[in-house]
Amino acid sequence: MKKFWALFFYFWPIVALYFCWIAPESNWWFPGEAMSPMGVRIESLFYLILWIVAIVFIGTQAALGYALWKSAARDEGQKAWYSHGSHSLELIWTIVPAFVLVFIALYQMDVWAEYRVQSFYPDSTREEGSVAELAARQFEWRIRYPAPGKKLSDEPESDDLYWVNELHVPTGRPVKINLRTQDVQHAFFSPQLRLKQDAVPGLIIPVWFEIPEAGEYDIVCAELCGWGHYKMRAKIVAESEAAYKAYLNRLQDEQNEDGYKAAEEETN
Amino acid sequence: MSLTSNTAHRLIAILVSPILFAGCSDRGDSSFVYSDRTLSLMNEAQTGFKDVKGVRELVDERFGNPQTLVAWQKLPVDFGGIACSVATTPDASAAVKSLQFEFAEGNSVPEKVSSLQFVTGACSGETAAVLKWDAATGTATLVSALQNAPAQGDQVTFDGGSTLKNGRMLYQRHCSHCHGTSGDGNGPTAQYLYPRPRDYRHGVFKFTSTNDTSKASRNDLTRIVKQGIPGTYMPSFLLLNDSDIHAIVEYVRFLAMRGEFERKTASSLASSFSRDAVTSRVKEGEKRAEIVEELKAFIGADLKDELGFISDELAETWSVAQTEEALVTPKIPRVADTIESRRRGRELYLSKTLNCANCHGISGRGDGPQTTDFEKNPVTNELYPEPGLHDVWDNLNQPRNLVYGIYRGGRRPIDLFARIHAGIKGSRMPSFKNVEHEDIWHIVNYVLSVPYEVEPGASASSQAAAPAAAAASL
Repeated sequence: MKKFWALFFYFWPIVALYFCWIAPESNWWFPGEAMSPMGVRIESLFYLILWIVAIVFIGTQAALGYALWKSAARDEGQKAWYSHGSHSLELIWTIVPAFVLVFIALYQMDVWAEYRVQSFYPDSTREEGSVAELAARQFEWRIRYPAPGKKLSDEPESDDLYWVNELHVPTGRPVKINLRTQDVQHAFFSPQLRLKQDAVPGLIIPVWFEIPEAGEYDIVCAELCGWGHYKMRAKIVAESEAAYKAYLNRLQDEQNEDGYKAAEEETN
Repeated sequence: MSLTSNTAHRLIAILVSPILFAGCSDRGDSSFVYSDRTLSLMNEAQTGFKDVKGVRELVDERFGNPQTLVAWQKLPVDFGGIACSVATTPDASAAVKSLQFEFAEGNSVPEKVSSLQFVTGACSGETAAVLKWDAATGTATLVSALQNAPAQGDQVTFDGGSTLKNGRMLYQRHCSHCHGTSGDGNGPTAQYLYPRPRDYRHGVFKFTSTNDTSKASRNDLTRIVKQGIPGTYMPSFLLLNDSDIHAIVEYVRFLAMRGEFERKTASSLASSFSRDAVTSRVKEGEKRAEIVEELKAFIGADLKDELGFISDELAETWSVAQTEEALVTPKIPRVADTIESRRRGRELYLSKTLNCANCHGISGRGDGPQTTDFEKNPVTNELYPEPGLHDVWDNLNQPRNLVYGIYRGGRRPIDLFARIHAGIKGSRMPSFKNVEHEDIWHIVNYVLSVPYEVEPGASASSQAAAPAAAAASL
């Protein structure tokens, strides 16, 4: 019976490993491949950490299984053996993880800096400024673009263009957006871009990303912001520079709509 | 590998599904609630008599309940379904189990059909479930034989009500927790919201492109569903596909018409047969039994005509809102947005005749003197307990603070033009349809400039900005 329990407890880590192994093929893993250069780098960091914890996990589970099995094989009458620590063992399991952590901390630094520290953002985004302001709100994303040919300012301008839940950006170059919130905390999360940033009341947070391929990418809220949190779905529409410019012009025309129908149109 | 992962997938699904889906079923017990006005009537008026229907039944037989929706053909609602007719009269000697249909030109032949409703002919009103549908020959095999034999040319609707049903499903998922199952603006989350969600049952929607006496058009509702209403809790549902948004809009119109029908029907009884009226009539010496007899006679005769008027008016007004004539259409294009135009707009804004500042305040902050006055409730004739402006839903309304630059009904010049021309329906913002269109444009130009500068031309920067803005608008 004791061996049954040894096997029973050993069974579960094997199940866990099995499911981890098949997860990528069954699409239980990432939402597709990373669609931005930064996303690829973040993903490689993720895999590095995954490998480290996988090795540690398998190692500890193997040790645990060995201990279970060995103890189960003992006689009923045998007396239990109590250990009272081992200085060298403790040193090992403190120093080794410390080295691992320091290694991770140093190894990820350049990615982190480029991802989050404004002075390390791509030069072009710092010169160009933000292409749009994304203001989260219970429960939608309000978008403000500067008028074509102008720069985005923090305060609204009279000729700004507005839309909601559909952010258009050009492909093939880094773009920066200003992330804000109009009420509580939200988080801008684009799974395909591996991009996530909290929106904090009172702050304007610049977020940059680059999308090489035209297409639609999800935006979801990743900070429980209220009962309608699940409704905060939006999308990024990445399109060629020309299509992006055409979109802004179209938006401007729409926003200047005065409803006047010229007489010749009526007679047609 | 794909086989194993599939098996694993299935295994997990089997283990997890009872937990995941417990409590997520589409509960079948929701029903429309009756309005306070209906509930204020004496019991007999609500429930009717053996042979005479009361208000509750009059409403239910026309609109049904969420699970048993009725498609009242009189209403200008797109209930969904494909119209067609019986192609050949089937052999009457045998039970009819299979029928051939033809479609009018331009109507596409459906791929799948699950039910069909007979609109005219011997089977009129019957619904038959379809077992098999052969799109190539247009032949439907029915689950069970028909009682009566249809004839060639009988009108039939395939999957009638599919749009409304889809609308109900989507509405329950996305809208009802604020707007309520009946569209009474009183869903479970409504009490936490300011401003309150719209109660559709007046048949009134605030932000429309139609003139002051017209209802909201489909386009208006679609726009609101897609873009949300900034400054309120109404979020955007832009990512729903167009057919889903159409279904939601039709369902909302359906609920609005139901509410309006119920409201008007109950109103026609309220003056004589509300609980309060009956109490005071009894006090004045009338016998209750006599009042009940009078009610019976009234519902049997006069109310019938009244219902005819009410339903005609419903059909008429909601159809008219779809027409081009109902749209607010400026006679002239927007006046160039110059300092002079804005100044003229400000003059008009402050003028005694238009008196915008009375509510919106001299500096546009929505703090005009009217906001501190106590108003009379036009229905009860009593003063509201709090000062300020009230809409037909009895909600306290803040006149828009124009400095914020948040425009609930849209920020396009035409939106502001329509707001001024037609007013904001149901609210105290009146229609200024008699004002010259040129003057309305001056006010629009002024209002759009308020967030940046209350006094046109007062700051040096505007001198530079205005020509650019004018150029952009040309």
